Amino acid sequence: MDWFNAVIQGLLLGGLYALFATGLSIMFGVMRVVNLAHGDLAVVASFLALSMVNATNAPLWVAVVITTPLFAVLGYLTQRILLQRSLRVGPMSTLVVTFGLSIVIQNVLLKIYSADTRTLGGGGFATGSFHLTNDIAIPYLSLATFVLAVVVIVAIQLFLSRTGLGRMLRASSDDPDTATLVGADSRHVYGIATAIAFGTVALAGIMMAMRSSFDPATGPSRLLFAFEAVVIGGLGSLWGTLLGGMVLGLTQSVGAQIDPALTILLGHLVFLAVLAFRPQGLLPGRTA
Amino acid sequence: MTSTPTGGMSRRGLLKSAGLGAAALGTMPLLSACGGLKGSSSSAADVLRIGYVSPQTGPLASFAAADNFIVSTIQDAVAKGLTIGGKKRKFEIVVKDTQSDPNRATEVTRALINDGVDLIVGSSTPDTTNPVADQCEANGVPNVTTIAPWEAWFHGRNGKEGEGFKYTTLFFFGMEQFADCFFPMWDRIGVSNKNVAALWPNDTDANAFRNGLGPMMKSKGWNPIDGGAYEDGASDFTAQITKFKNSGAELFTCTPIPPDFQTFWKQAQQQGFHPKLATVAKVMLFPTEAEALGKLSNNIATDIWWSPQHPYKSVLDGTTAKQLADNYATKTGKQWTQALGSIYSLFEIAIQAFKDADDPKDKDEVAKNLREMKINCMSGDLDFTNGPEPGIAIQHPVGGQWRPGKKFPWDVVIVDNTPNPAVPVGGDLEPTNA
Repeated sequence: MDWFNAVIQGLLLGGLYALFATGLSIMFGVMRVVNLAHGDLAVVASFLALSMVNATNAPLWVAVVITTPLFAVLGYLTQRILLQRSLRVGPMSTLVVTFGLSIVIQNVLLKIYSADTRTLGGGGFATGSFHLTNDIAIPYLSLATFVLAVVVIVAIQLFLSRTGLGRMLRASSDDPDTATLVGADSRHVYGIATAIAFGTVALAGIMMAMRSSFDPATGPSRLLFAFEAVVIGGLGSLWGTLLGGMVLGLTQSVGAQIDPALTILLGHLVFLAVLAFRPQGLLPGRTA
Repeated sequence: MTSTPTGGMSRRGLLKSAGLGAAALGTMPLLSACGGLKGSSSSAADVLRIGYVSPQTGPLASFAAADNFIVSTIQDAVAKGLTIGGKKRKFEIVVKDTQSDPNRATEVTRALINDGVDLIVGSSTPDTTNPVADQCEANGVPNVTTIAPWEAWFHGRNGKEGEGFKYTTLFFFGMEQFADCFFPMWDRIGVSNKNVAALWPNDTDANAFRNGLGPMMKSKGWNPIDGGAYEDGASDFTAQITKFKNSGAELFTCTPIPPDFQTFWKQAQQQGFHPKLATVAKVMLFPTEAEALGKLSNNIATDIWWSPQHPYKSVLDGTTAKQLADNYATKTGKQWTQALGSIYSLFEIAIQAFKDADDPKDKDEVAKNLREMKINCMSGDLDFTNGPEPGIAIQHPVGGQWRPGKKFPWDVVIVDNTPNPAVPVGGDLEPTNA
């Protein structure tokens, strides 16, 4: 029963990883940008939601509803103003720009919010659970995060496959020059992709803030898990990212059940094994 | 005031000290009104310079939140200077930031030494105290540090038993004091079995608990249920919680990094692990952590080595612990932390070591004074000659529990003073989960 519990909690944790990795997956899939500031952006979203809740006493869901679109707009602007310039120079340049962004974000957050550890209080929702059996408690928060991850990924997939803008996005991802020739403004399209990525990272940041805690320096350590989820699942594939997140969560949780010392190590080993034996990932994607 | 030479300094170091110089400007008018601390007005021999190294930025920054306040408080207290060795001496404090990085701590300590400071004090976690002390020992600069378990400081630096170090000293406590602090509370709370759930990750601090507190627990009949040596930064604690639940443990102790504790404690709540009493180490030291956990902080117990209720006074001007905490709250609007008393005492001890010297510029003599110091200060009675190893003074933390406060959302109530009866008890020991 302990093992069954470990599997369930691991899969739920995987949902969080997947939600968090979605943004990274999209930005890489569409623009070949590895966003090293991804983890820090999640932390920014956490702080933003915290400030909003503290300042207005509004319930947390209001903060989610405001922060997510705000982040999407921020994403669009970041792409158009900051990343687009570096894209023209080359992949190394964008890497350095996002790395710089990461450092700037951490230090600005430190200046504004100090180094104190914070968390978002979700009340009974964040600490409550229902019992599947006597031994297995399903936390509301983990379940909600998992459902949210699936909904977000399905929605983005539908957007990409069913809408005109989605088609342009895929076209720009495959061949930006040709796509521009036939009328897709790749800069605008890239902006949209980044907006989606930023929106999902805001959601993930808030869910993480409720689940655990955050301070200005937590971003980079989280980035690693998102990165692993993306690579395990397959670069550029959103279904792959969902699967990758779940494989990572499951591995960590089952590893911990064997011996807690193995938790993170086993996750890294699966990541390494995928890189070595199936570098295209479990569900390689051609399109974003 | 900060007459730090800029030659041979990194650009970053220069910016840092320029920033601190600017920060110190606030105290300047006052100081010059009292005759001034300006290096230019007195010869180098008349100014005693104390270097202070602490993690002002980065993950450990909570420890250093009170730094600016303490430095200006100390500067005010000794603004008139003191007559030592037949001469009027002024004091100057040079502050350096480790950015929570041990390598950086080494670097800034070396910069202080090159800059010719007379004594270096340092604070907070072995990541600061050890590199700072190592540099001071190697370069023959008297040094005192605090807020690091003495075992980590002593054994971590390969101290020779019975011999110790020549230039470096420490005041804090170790495993035995944790045992003295936690065991009486475990006895008092009344549990049906002797199992104690222990969340000890795989890092220096927690391994010291595993190998130090673990055997002590067994010798007193407690049975540690080790959750396993997980790696810091874990996102899921299902395995540990399952193990703790299966053991039926009603007591809980831990030494995780603060973010991990927040995750663990929430998950324990979700998955139905409700220990009757939680006595935690390394976490819940600061009010901000209690605020972050919110309601779940209620009645979590931890080791308290300094609080406004401690009956301690400054040797410099008689300020009481209560007054120090109140002044801090008035000046900064922030709630007291335990680091306040410890960092204050660093400077008390440094100044005392100078005062006791015939020639305060003689580093060997000042170092000897540190090693032989007995002082009744803001951190209580400290005796550096009577510790577990030479040059270590031991404090005796008492048990405190977090409860909703009056002035601030969460405050510590002293609930068990068995290890240090001089500290008044402020309330009864209550179960963490009834």
